[in-house]
Amino acid sequence: MKKFLNAAKNYFVDFGKAVIHGNLWTKSSLVVMGAGFWGCGQYIKGILVTAMEILFFAVTFGFSLEYIRKLGTLGTVQREETLDLTTLTKTVNDYDNSLLILLCGIIGILFLVIFVLFYISNMKRVYALELEKKADRHINTFREDLRELINGKFHITLLTLPSLGVFLINIIPILFMICIAFTNYDMDHQPPTYLFTWVGLENFKMLVTSTTTVTFGYVFIRILLWTLLWAFLATFSTYFGGILLAKFINDKKTKWKKLWRTLFVITIAIPQFITLLLVGKMFGDYGIINSLYNKAGITSFLQDIGLVSKGLSYIPFLSKPGWAHVMVVLINIWVGVPFQMLSATGILMNIPEEQMESAKIDGASEAQIFWKITMPYMLFVTGPSLITAFIANINNFNVIYLLTSDYVTSNMKFANSNAKEMDLLITWLFTLTNDYSNYKMASVIGICVFVICAVCTLISFSRMIAGNREEELQ
Amino acid sequence: MKKTLGMIMRHLFLAVLALIWLIPVVWLFVTSLSAYKGINTMHFFPTKWSMDNYAQLFFRPDTVANFPAWFKNSMLIGVFSCMISTIFVLMVAYAMSCMRFQGRKALMSFAIILGMFPGVLSMIAIYFVMKLIGLSNSLTGLVVIYSAGSGLGYLICKGFFDTIPASLRESAKLEGASELTIFTKIVIPLSKPIIVYTVINSFLSPWMDFVMAKLMIRSKDPADWTVAMGLFNLVQRTLVGNYFSVFCAGGIIVAIPISVLFVIMQRFYVEGITGGAVKG
Amino acid sequence: MKKKIVSLILVSAVMTSMLCGCGSTDTPATEEVSQTETTQQETQETQETGSTDAIANLIAATEGPVDLTVWCSETEAYQKAVAELVEDFKAEYSDVEFNITIGAESEANCKDDVLADVEAAADLFVFPDDQLLELVNAGALQSVDATFTYDPHKTNAGTTVEAASVDGTLYAYPLTASNGYFLFYDKNALTEEDVSSWDNLLAAAEEQGKTVGMEVSGAWYLYGFFAGAGLDMYLGDDGKNICNWNAEDTKYAGADVAEAITEICKNPAMVNCVNEDAQAFALNGEMIADVNGTWATNAFEEAYGDGYAAVKLPTFSVNGEQVQMGSFAGYKFVGVNAYSDNTGWAMLLAEFLTNETSQTKIGVATGEGPANTVAASSAEIASAPALAALAEQAEYADLQRVGDNYWSPAATLGEALVEGNYTDAQTLLDEAVEGITQ
Repeated sequence: MKKFLNAAKNYFVDFGKAVIHGNLWTKSSLVVMGAGFWGCGQYIKGILVTAMEILFFAVTFGFSLEYIRKLGTLGTVQREETLDLTTLTKTVNDYDNSLLILLCGIIGILFLVIFVLFYISNMKRVYALELEKKADRHINTFREDLRELINGKFHITLLTLPSLGVFLINIIPILFMICIAFTNYDMDHQPPTYLFTWVGLENFKMLVTSTTTVTFGYVFIRILLWTLLWAFLATFSTYFGGILLAKFINDKKTKWKKLWRTLFVITIAIPQFITLLLVGKMFGDYGIINSLYNKAGITSFLQDIGLVSKGLSYIPFLSKPGWAHVMVVLINIWVGVPFQMLSATGILMNIPEEQMESAKIDGASEAQIFWKITMPYMLFVTGPSLITAFIANINNFNVIYLLTSDYVTSNMKFANSNAKEMDLLITWLFTLTNDYSNYKMASVIGICVFVICAVCTLISFSRMIAGNREEELQ
Repeated sequence: MKKTLGMIMRHLFLAVLALIWLIPVVWLFVTSLSAYKGINTMHFFPTKWSMDNYAQLFFRPDTVANFPAWFKNSMLIGVFSCMISTIFVLMVAYAMSCMRFQGRKALMSFAIILGMFPGVLSMIAIYFVMKLIGLSNSLTGLVVIYSAGSGLGYLICKGFFDTIPASLRESAKLEGASELTIFTKIVIPLSKPIIVYTVINSFLSPWMDFVMAKLMIRSKDPADWTVAMGLFNLVQRTLVGNYFSVFCAGGIIVAIPISVLFVIMQRFYVEGITGGAVKG
Repeated sequence: MKKKIVSLILVSAVMTSMLCGCGSTDTPATEEVSQTETTQQETQETQETGSTDAIANLIAATEGPVDLTVWCSETEAYQKAVAELVEDFKAEYSDVEFNITIGAESEANCKDDVLADVEAAADLFVFPDDQLLELVNAGALQSVDATFTYDPHKTNAGTTVEAASVDGTLYAYPLTASNGYFLFYDKNALTEEDVSSWDNLLAAAEEQGKTVGMEVSGAWYLYGFFAGAGLDMYLGDDGKNICNWNAEDTKYAGADVAEAITEICKNPAMVNCVNEDAQAFALNGEMIADVNGTWATNAFEEAYGDGYAAVKLPTFSVNGEQVQMGSFAGYKFVGVNAYSDNTGWAMLLAEFLTNETSQTKIGVATGEGPANTVAASSAEIASAPALAALAEQAEYADLQRVGDNYWSPAATLGEALVEGNYTDAQTLLDEAVEGITQ
């Protein structure tokens, strides 16, 4: 932290130095940013930098400033339209669109921040250039600068386009959605016709409130726990299932290894959403599994032992809590195990033979070898992907959404918050936005998901990145 | 004696497992050959067989199903977004793995955390960003969405690059090769497995995603949809009774390009997932 | 440093493209502000005076081709019928060039799709009446301030117009009035006596080893029982639902109705299932009667063959008395997008699609009942059993004025009643009412 503050301090001090000690060329860079480069003979660069400056002002004054100004209120003029019935043409007033104001405002501010950083480092760069020139050191020509871009500074070339993409698809939308959590954007305040505005922490309070009608608190805690439980079960069941299956197939005693492997891999070829929809239909209340079980008398047997309520004529595979919870985990095993088996096969083949052999000579049993040698090795190799899988399962939209779209909750408290027992946080927030236009609560939930995932990852990944594993490997 | 029994049990067990795994696939296949269009809830196998579903899929596009167009759209999106994503991932992974620059570690952590944000939530914001650029309701927009953020998924690829001995790059540098040359002439040729892995993954995602596609493609003309969108639409309540077998036929057809991709690249695929860590 | 320049050039390139994009989306129809009051007067004038002037003015003012998009049901019959009508429309106004696109949109999702981005939605869309309130709340519908070729107030029943209005303002053009539910049955298996009450119906079905279907756990259908027993559930003026399903002092107490429903569901012949399952069962020959709507007409016709029949909903017994089931009367409307670039033409097309001839054509093609009273009573339409059944049921049907909070709690209530595993009906209803009226 201290290091960071110091760095920040130096950053501005250097800027101050440049402004105070710089020569005329450098000082005039404060206004015309390319001036310093022209002073040192880097003409093309100077022109480019100045062009950037002009572009920035054009964008800000021509477009984003108007939105940034309105950010405080998110707009005040509501849409009004009049239809002229004699000509059948419509006139609309110059109304504010809260959504557009927020979005363009954020873009404008991001642009501003980037420009300020660019501006400051430009000053420092120009000053450094001036000093270099004074010391009579070689000053790069434009061609040399370009050449640097594929050599020492190659990372800039590499990262520019991907970062731009990330800005567009990730950073801007994320900032936007975080802001929504502090507004009242819901069914009654939908742009473009109506305005929404800032409400502070109101929505977060709502999330922990639990009264008879506002049940967000009650529902949130239950869905959160189920989400975590689900992520745990889904991750580890497929993980161990995959390893065990791979081990079983790779065992010396198993014949036709390739055939078995292919049989399981076939399921991967069919896109997940198709198999999920299909399996969902198979296990429907009146689906084929139920009608076959009914004929075979399994349904009535389950009723007799009390697993299925007498009031039902079918097994509620995907339509009652408990049953559905187990089924989605099982179906997920079905979906996930072939993938895991495929990767585990590769890893198992690479386990150093010597270790296994020496363990066998020492008289270790199969089980001992598996737990003492195979598993630790697997965990070492697949540790990172295990965490990624856990996070992916927290956000596993498809499995839950496609399997339980017909599920109707019988718990009134869930119903009052537009949720159902089967929902993960992610499917709940989807329902809230898609069916009920309740963006404010969805954003709050989204932030919670984000925090949970980020904490999980930070704890585990910081070790991997911080450690010098990459250096060791190379 | 005991040994043979064990052998039989072992293979029997595998056979049962394989059967469980194959039942839905078989059902998908036989239903796609059913003459009855709705969901057959009484019998596993269709009572009347027919190839009509495939014929309908390919030759009789109607107001809700236009499979040839869907297939073409998905193929275009898949190919382009796969190319862009793969290039992005390789670029980021190389920068993160093979270069040393200020703020690298911070950037890496930042990228990972950014990837944590639930995509479903930012969907609507992405839609409006795309609308702002004028790319909503177009295939180009979808390509951008599927590929622009792909740089964040650099981690596995970086893990692979980490295993390429640094000495190789050092010696090339001594001979005067630029970083660009090292990247294109040394690192990439050595990374076939991970490239294949990235290619497969990024080619597949447009074939699977229907939520984002449904939001982005506002057009209600089936000719503008993707395979995932269109097939998903076929099993919605109003249509499922008349199109379920057609949906199954579509599922089988979609499996073909994916299988081909897998068969060709299977060897590399496994190496790709595991290779990075194992070689270390 | 030099490299930053490259990145900044790229940033700016993107930003510029954003700018360009923004320019085009940001400035649609920036016709200047005009005063509201004067137009208000004009509204009344035009409604009385010759409205054809307006059309003439519009035609004169139209330059270049007019782009319109229509979203309507994805079924083949609908798409074809509307496509033909659109051609007729083009012929009617042959002076103007039109580019009219017809999109296939599932009516149930219409609201969700329109509200996700109103500006990108179709100029005209067909939607069921239960989405009206939310569409109006979001400002997505152009109010029907005046009509030019016919007057919906005169051609439709009063309740139909009321269903398409909010606070006295008409917001959509009524298209069909057949979106309610009734009973399909196989008259080869059931007599008219059998289908008059749930008791007889279930007894007859059980005897034959067949089943009867209804989506009791669906909030929309569940309403029929409580409404039939005289209990209230409607949207109050403050935007909250008013519901007395838990009342104890009414003629039939809510708890008694609840128990009556559970009693029906306990019968082994009773199947609580959704439309798609019911159709499959009927085609299998298992289900001989089902509570459903006109959208299922073709399937039941196919399933029952010459035994195909339809009738109003049966009565059910509460405290030993037979009570006629109520229902929701359902409509489909054509709405004009308030953000349409060609409001005038969109309104005219909406009028054209909902005029008497068009409604008859749609009715014949799709089996749905026209909202237009003349079209509805024409011989070719009124003779359809499903529509006759609806007309019979109309007497007991209520306008669907329901706030969004109704659906989830009511479905949950239905689910509990079907299962019958509650201990005290009164507590169950109290909770449900609390959720519905929140």
